[in-house]
Amino acid sequence: MVTRAPAKTFETVVIGEMLGPHAIVITREQARNYALACGMSTPRFMSDEDARREEGLPAMLTPGNMTLGILAKLVTDWLGSGSGQLARIGTTFRSFVHPGVELTLHGFVTHTDQAARSADLDVWMENEDGERLVVGTATVAFGPAE
Amino acid sequence: MSSDEYDSFESGRFEPQEGRQAESGSEQAPERFDPSLLGKLFDLTEPVTVTAQMIRDYCAAIGEDNPAYNEPSPDDQLLTAPPSFAVLLKRSEKIYRCMPRYDEAFAAGQDLEYLAPIREGDRITLASSMRETYEKTGRSGKMSFVVLRSTLTNQRGETVAHIDHRFVYRS
Repeated sequence: MVTRAPAKTFETVVIGEMLGPHAIVITREQARNYALACGMSTPRFMSDEDARREEGLPAMLTPGNMTLGILAKLVTDWLGSGSGQLARIGTTFRSFVHPGVELTLHGFVTHTDQAARSADLDVWMENEDGERLVVGTATVAFGPAE
Repeated sequence: MSSDEYDSFESGRFEPQEGRQAESGSEQAPERFDPSLLGKLFDLTEPVTVTAQMIRDYCAAIGEDNPAYNEPSPDDQLLTAPPSFAVLLKRSEKIYRCMPRYDEAFAAGQDLEYLAPIREGDRITLASSMRETYEKTGRSGKMSFVVLRSTLTNQRGETVAHIDHRFVYRS
C-alpha cells in the first residue's frame, strides 16, 4: 500500500527525483483474476500446474499488461491528485514475472520540459536479486500554469 | 468470432487503412507474417460499455486505492478509470488469426498513449492493425516480433488511447 502523496506540481519536479522503491508481491490469485478479466484464460496465467503441464513453463506468469498497470500506478501515486496526468507509458517485459515472488518498483525523473510542462521518467520492476524484469519509460503532463 | 466474420476478412471486405511500413532500422518482416497485412485495419470491435464494476475490479486487481479512481466524481457521480485500464479492454480476436502460432507467442512489451479519461458509462470501440514486424537475434537465438496497434475511441468519437502490443516468437 502506498501512502497518498501530496499533489505533485511541475514546479516541484526535480530531475533525479526517485519514485519508490515500493515492495510488492503479486499473488497467484491476483494474476489469475487479472487474466480472466482480460479474457486471457491461457494456462500460463491460470495456475502453476497448468503452466507446467500445458506450456512447459516453470510456474505460472503474471500478465505483462498487469505489470504495466502496476508501474503506471507507481507514477500516478507519485503524481497525487493535482493537475499532473500520465500521458504515456511504455514497458518492455524482459523476463517472466512469476506471482508469489518479492518485487520492488522503482522510478526516477530523467527529463523535464519547461515549454510542454511535462516530465519523463524511467520506471522498472525488479526481483530480490536486483534483476530488472520489466523496464519502461513514462511521460507525465501537467497542463498550463495557473 | 463466427466463421462468417473470418471468411469476410479472408475475402478482403475489411477496409484497409493507409499502410504503414516497418520503422526504419527494423529488419525485413519475417516470412511467416504476411507483409501485406502491415497497416491494414482489422475490424472494429463492438463497443464495450465501461461499468463501475469493471473499474472497481480493475482497481482491485492492481491494488489501486487512489480515491480519484475509487470514488465517484462529485459532479456526476461517475467513476473515472485509472489510465492503465485501457490495456484491459479486449481486442478483436480477428487479428490474431493472422499471427501464426499465437499460443506460442509471449508479450514482449506494451506502450500506452493515454489521451483522454475513460469513465463509467463510456462505450469504447477498439480498432486494431498490424503495425510492424521485425526480427532480432539475442542470447537465445533469433526472435520474431510483431507489433499490433489498438486505437480506442469513445462514443463521442474521441480517441482516448493508442496501445502498441509487442509479441515475440522464438525461432
